[in-house]
Amino acid sequence: MSVIKELIKCLISRPVTIKYPYERKEPYPRFRGKISINYDACIGCGLCARVCPALAITLITPPRKKSIRDRRPLVQIYKCVFCGQCALVCPRKAITFSKEYELSSFSKDGMLVAPPFFKNKKHKLRQS
Amino acid sequence: MSLLLEFLKIAIYPGVLFIIVFSLFLEWLDRKIYAHSQHRIGPLYIGPHGILQPFADILKLISKEDITPPHVDKSFFMLAPPVLLYLAILGMFMIPLGALGEPYALLSFEGDYLVVLTITTLITAFVFAGSWASFNRFSALGSIRALLLMVGYEVPLFLCAAAVALDAKTLCLSRIALIQSTSPWFIVMQPIGFIISLIALQAELERIPFDIPEAETEIVAGWLTEFSGKKLAMIRLAHDIELFLLASLIVTLYLGGPWGPMGPSALWFILKVIFVIFLSSILRALFARYRIEQAITFFWKYIIPLSLLQVFIALLIPLV
Amino acid sequence: MPEIEIPVGPQHPALKEPIRFVFRIDGEIVVGAEPRLGYAHRGIEKLGEHRSYVQVLYLSERICGICSVAHTTCYVETAERLFNIEIPPRAKFIRVIVSELNRIHSHLLWLGILAHEIGFDTLFMYTWRDRELVLDLLEMITGNRVLYAINMIGGVRHDITNEMVDKIRKVMDYLEERTKYYKRVVQEDPLMLARLSEVGILSRSDAQKLCAVGPTIRGSGVKTDIRKEDPYAAYDEIPFNIITYTEGDALAKTLVRVDEIQESINIIRYALDHMPSGNINIRVPLRPSPGEAIGRVEAPRGELFYYIRSDGSERPYRFKVRTPTLANIPALCKMLEGVYVADIPVVVASIDPCIACMDRVLLIDTNKGTWNILTGEELRRYSKKWYEKHKIR
Repeated sequence: MSVIKELIKCLISRPVTIKYPYERKEPYPRFRGKISINYDACIGCGLCARVCPALAITLITPPRKKSIRDRRPLVQIYKCVFCGQCALVCPRKAITFSKEYELSSFSKDGMLVAPPFFKNKKHKLRQS
Repeated sequence: MSLLLEFLKIAIYPGVLFIIVFSLFLEWLDRKIYAHSQHRIGPLYIGPHGILQPFADILKLISKEDITPPHVDKSFFMLAPPVLLYLAILGMFMIPLGALGEPYALLSFEGDYLVVLTITTLITAFVFAGSWASFNRFSALGSIRALLLMVGYEVPLFLCAAAVALDAKTLCLSRIALIQSTSPWFIVMQPIGFIISLIALQAELERIPFDIPEAETEIVAGWLTEFSGKKLAMIRLAHDIELFLLASLIVTLYLGGPWGPMGPSALWFILKVIFVIFLSSILRALFARYRIEQAITFFWKYIIPLSLLQVFIALLIPLV
Repeated sequence: MPEIEIPVGPQHPALKEPIRFVFRIDGEIVVGAEPRLGYAHRGIEKLGEHRSYVQVLYLSERICGICSVAHTTCYVETAERLFNIEIPPRAKFIRVIVSELNRIHSHLLWLGILAHEIGFDTLFMYTWRDRELVLDLLEMITGNRVLYAINMIGGVRHDITNEMVDKIRKVMDYLEERTKYYKRVVQEDPLMLARLSEVGILSRSDAQKLCAVGPTIRGSGVKTDIRKEDPYAAYDEIPFNIITYTEGDALAKTLVRVDEIQESINIIRYALDHMPSGNINIRVPLRPSPGEAIGRVEAPRGELFYYIRSDGSERPYRFKVRTPTLANIPALCKMLEGVYVADIPVVVASIDPCIACMDRVLLIDTNKGTWNILTGEELRRYSKKWYEKHKIR
């Protein structure tokens, strides 16, 4: 009986439900969505792959290049736990987080954030 | 020709089709009011404002696989769902719906009041039979609780029914509604009876606060655990029609049936039923769930003395 | 009526997480309860031995989604003792604010779950609607609604700006009104009182003997709180009360948690008023010196205990977690004797079970007086051999 006033207030006011997916709420600025890597700023140090707790980042070398500095990270989004440690340790701030959170895809290739030279099946990805 | 008319009356309006369609509408209304009182939306996408959602639920259940576990007692397990549906529709035939001339209901005779009340008891009896035949410890608990609950609400419901019949001096539902077109509605003469009937409606239909036989968080699904597919669709449809039946019983007894300021009309009847359903949904949103012994104590300690009082008042203050 | 055995779980609508109980009931009264754990065992402690200190931080966060910040706070407390570093004071205050916001969100969630267990879905919807505001605040401060990743060894990751402070204050004012309203509902609604009072009583001596923790023991009259006994973060500088009620039933535990929401609101306001300035984190070395350290925090459910042992490498040698729900399970079994079947969900919900936190196995052979720890892999091998030996499929 004590909720009756609240109940009448709720009956006459608009419901608070957001009709997702027809209406979406904008995430806050610090939100950690899908990872995005600035491959021009990356120097290939490999710190991101070392600290990732989910072992989602692999460093792959482009063809016909041998230097360690040319390695670039490839992220398997389906393993990522969105912790943000890679963005924290990157010395060149090449890793940022976008606001995308609807990340399903029909194929595993849609779930990779890959450097421009990446071609499938030619690089061995990190298993865990 | 008149045979064809009779057939259309039984099948379409105010017969089976109208009953099924309107009770699905009432389920939608109930869900919407319950949702809005909790600040959320309820059914939204199927049909405009979700009005086809109950129909979609029934269709979905019909299309699912109907599993009969091997160890059940097939006689009552198979029998209970269609009998429940049949009983609910049969009960509806006797309620004056207001679209026809004399007689105002499809089946109307002296004593049909008693038949409707017996039907409500029989529905609970078949609920018990079907769930006991399910041979499952959760259904056993649920069926025992359903019977125990009947011990609680049956007596006050019948006492208030008797109070109305004493005042109206007739046992025909159409005549009880007819009497209220000339004298004040029984809700004014017997307000206690109206409130007790509303509470008994909540208990009969196993809605919160008397949700006990079907309590989801305690015993999985209670007495409906083993039913699936078409049987579950029939049980849910029977439940909706029972809601319509009891709401229209209350409208007939206390709110004057289909009689409005300009004679009997179906629209008035529908509006009054919607009002009763509105009250019932608000009651459903307002309370928590009783434990079974608390519910029985509540009925026997408070409601039955009130209904006895109501019977005495009905005897002492006759209707003019 | 003869006794029948009702299994509850591992999948059951009353339980949010898998745990198996077998209740022996006589009519409607429970005469015996046997719990069985292990359905959410994930091998976290073994996994922790193969990850570096930074990676284990995120692993510990994912032990539980509801009390995630309590796990990371405990981990960084322990790791900072191991690394022997002192974090800046502003970081301590930010940790307090995020921990208390987490506590508010956890208690509001729990209040909704309890209302759902007794069939009061309206209260469930109202509390979860108010909880959305807290989750929005947390997303604004930390970047995520559930797994915040705000703590790091050496401080916190993000700072609280001035606009955030204003928003936090506004939400705290709103939540204070709502908490007063919920307390009134719990204390005055006749049906809630009928379902919650005198249900699942845990006497004071039983609670102390069975080592219950958190609001479970505070609802039985014992005044104990890790934030006062063993202060961590900035709790030694912030005044607050420890809430106790003496009846020991589900109503007392509910009122303890509702009052704790109010206390958390006060703590956050005090912390916002007295927040020192400065930087928020410091650099830490990669490897600690060999040694061991323990850490305790007051999670929303009780005392959370971590132990880390290091042998000088960049990975922990041993990482052990003891969560509050595990400590409350013996008290739960005592509370379940003599209740009605209809009250089982209420009693189980009144200790705020977080089964995901609790499944780590230590087998104690009481006959021989020996003990050994089995990791997830060894447990699997052992159980396979046992089943093959006893030919149970």
